[in-house]
Amino acid sequence: MSFKDEEQVSKDDNHEDEEEEAVISEEDSDLDEFEDEETTRNLVVPGEILTTDTKTYLPGRGTLLTPDRSKIISLNIGLKQTKKNYINVIPLRGFYTPRPGDKVIALVTDKNPVKYRCDINAKDDAVLKPKNTMKRGRISRGMRGGPPDRNNSNAEMYDVGDILIAKVLSADRLNSPELTTVGKYLGKKNNGIVISIDPPKIPRVIGRDGSMIKNLKNLTKSTIFVTQNGRIWLKGEDIAHERLLIDAIRKIEREAHTVGLTDRMIEFIENEKKKRGLK
Amino acid sequence: MPLVIKDEYPEKLFREDGKRLDGREKTELRPIKMEVGVIENADGSAYLEWGNNKIYAAVYGPREVHPHHLAKPDSGILRVFYRMTTYSVFERKRPAPGRREKEISMVITDCLKPLLFLELYPGTAFEVFIEVMDADGGTRCASTTVAALALADAGIPMKSLVTAVAVGKIDDQLVVDLSGIEDKAGQADLPCAITWFNEELSLLQFDGDMNIEQMDEFLKLAKSALSEIYELQLQALKKKYIAIQEEVSGGNT
Amino acid sequence: MNIKRVISAIEKNYIIQNLRREERFDDRGLWEYRKISIKHDIIASAEGSADVSLGKTRIVTGLKYDVGEPFPDMPDEGVCTVMAELLPIASPLFERGPPDEQSIELARVVDRGIRHADCVQTKKLCIEAKKAVYILFVDMYVLNYAGNLIDAGGISALTALISSHIPEGKMEDGKLVWTGKYLDGEFIVKELPLVLTYGKIDDMIFLDPSLPEELISDGKLSISVTEDKITSMQKSGEATFSFDEISMLAKKSIEIGKKLRKDLNFWQYKVNYE
Repeated sequence: MSFKDEEQVSKDDNHEDEEEEAVISEEDSDLDEFEDEETTRNLVVPGEILTTDTKTYLPGRGTLLTPDRSKIISLNIGLKQTKKNYINVIPLRGFYTPRPGDKVIALVTDKNPVKYRCDINAKDDAVLKPKNTMKRGRISRGMRGGPPDRNNSNAEMYDVGDILIAKVLSADRLNSPELTTVGKYLGKKNNGIVISIDPPKIPRVIGRDGSMIKNLKNLTKSTIFVTQNGRIWLKGEDIAHERLLIDAIRKIEREAHTVGLTDRMIEFIENEKKKRGLK
Repeated sequence: MPLVIKDEYPEKLFREDGKRLDGREKTELRPIKMEVGVIENADGSAYLEWGNNKIYAAVYGPREVHPHHLAKPDSGILRVFYRMTTYSVFERKRPAPGRREKEISMVITDCLKPLLFLELYPGTAFEVFIEVMDADGGTRCASTTVAALALADAGIPMKSLVTAVAVGKIDDQLVVDLSGIEDKAGQADLPCAITWFNEELSLLQFDGDMNIEQMDEFLKLAKSALSEIYELQLQALKKKYIAIQEEVSGGNT
Repeated sequence: MNIKRVISAIEKNYIIQNLRREERFDDRGLWEYRKISIKHDIIASAEGSADVSLGKTRIVTGLKYDVGEPFPDMPDEGVCTVMAELLPIASPLFERGPPDEQSIELARVVDRGIRHADCVQTKKLCIEAKKAVYILFVDMYVLNYAGNLIDAGGISALTALISSHIPEGKMEDGKLVWTGKYLDGEFIVKELPLVLTYGKIDDMIFLDPSLPEELISDGKLSISVTEDKITSMQKSGEATFSFDEISMLAKKSIEIGKKLRKDLNFWQYKVNYE
């Protein structure tokens, strides 16, 4: 694998597309709950009593009603939130659990004639079947999920070590999650780098209506792709810009639970650009 | 051959002024410091200094079970590995885990398991690694206490924390938080842990001689000490985040 | 954090492209170490200890002693032995169990660096010839793995030895008694060996590989040096090194070693025990 591949950027390579950062923001309703008015800056820990008024309030996300029904307690370390009469805890730490429809950044770790095995930073590796790698708009008859036909240009072929933007097709308690790379903006990435952050902090990197990610992108002149499984793909105009972008993301991760973060991040990036002599 | 300095126990465990050998009152805890998020690579981690005890706990999970045959199809499993370094004790310990370490691992597992929702993660494992870098009495209690913090730091849903302490009897007096010498030379040692979810004991062991009248006294002393230590755990979990909140609102970027 | 054995192709490319421009992601030069921090004498139960961080790699080493019979071929010399454990807490890549190749390599490379530099004055560790000598155990425990365990291990082992406070014993009427004094680092340590590890990818060589660099390296070369001598070397991995490269690295190691020794100022870690 050499860096010659960089020069082979093809026309329908998805990473040129301006809208891609918005990909995961549409349907997801619990995005950037950090910025919600209903989220307090009240930090709670596992076992902490959120309320003893169990007549008025109901246990929401990250909480539990005790067996004697006398209190609602937090199950996580996070921020207390009251929405209508639900008490939720927005976790500050946690691992990624795949849900259908999630966009993820996957690393191919193994392959055989009938499937690819991918690491998606979840408790199980995910499976990607060749029939779910076909390039959009070209469905070939006769493919019934058998081994990929090397002469068939419809199926994208991947190797161990490839980074893919994929979508979760199915995920349940008992089976390995299944992925697809068929869809807008999905497929293999040929350049850039991927970093990992705490999955609960991902909404903060996107921001309300994508405000944070727009700022990051514009101020550091980079392309960024943020996915649900805590991974971020990015590419800047040079290594110095990429370093700045990553430092900014780490700062967001660290200060996710504070107020006024968006403004502070703009200030931070402007200052750092001056300090580092970047434009 | 014996070491140059022998490991000998003092005759008396109280000083002339009525205090314990390290200057403590009977119900006084040793100095305790806790911190979370100390091992970069782990999913969750915590560090504890308790008197001379220095203990790290780190959590990995949920992740694949190795060896495979231990995996359960309908539930996750919890595995706790309590280990001591060779240099954590007076006489160098052999590197390989011994029976005591395996016993303590089991006892701590029983303590932590009821707090988790393992049935939500079938086929996976949560692994808690406890490394005692420096030991000075009450390591199983200190280990349980720091392990609970590491699990919380990993973002694993838990019904509550668990806190542990050892109370005991030395020179016929009931005391709280036995040091290494007091543990070795004393008359009774009762390590216990409380699960705050239902405020009941989830770890209980006892060695020594105790009158039936002293049993209630022991448990009362324990309860009070446990509450004190619990406060410290809560602070440790929150303080990192609170410090950052204060830092940014103070006008520093 | 997820480190997996499979490194993505784009990460590999990224590192290689940047190395060609002599750039590294953490903004270091090719011959620069990551930040080193050292704490000494932190373990109350040990007779010497060091907590060393090299970048995010962290090793805590403790020194323990025993008194025993000397080896028959060295009747008036003590013994110093080095062990290493890669704790499972340090990385999802580490498994529990007996020492594996990587931990044995760490222990042996650090051991040889110390042994062949004449670092520990084993003749001074003799209480009574043929009967009683000191046996020193330098035990390294890796707490976090972020690449280049060997150099971090070397610094931690040396610091632990310098911070030593071992009870001084003598034979009195056939019994071992304590003189009330302690043997310290100045008594035990003569030379200050440092081990420097280089990674090689394609034809590019660089000092102190970080974890991603280490995982994609084709080979490694570790060179132990004192102020003016090479005392041991170890090559690992499939890559080959040319004669010129080895000569160049040997010279560089003396040079970098000198500067590092000066910067770290090891003798500040000597401890006085009454």
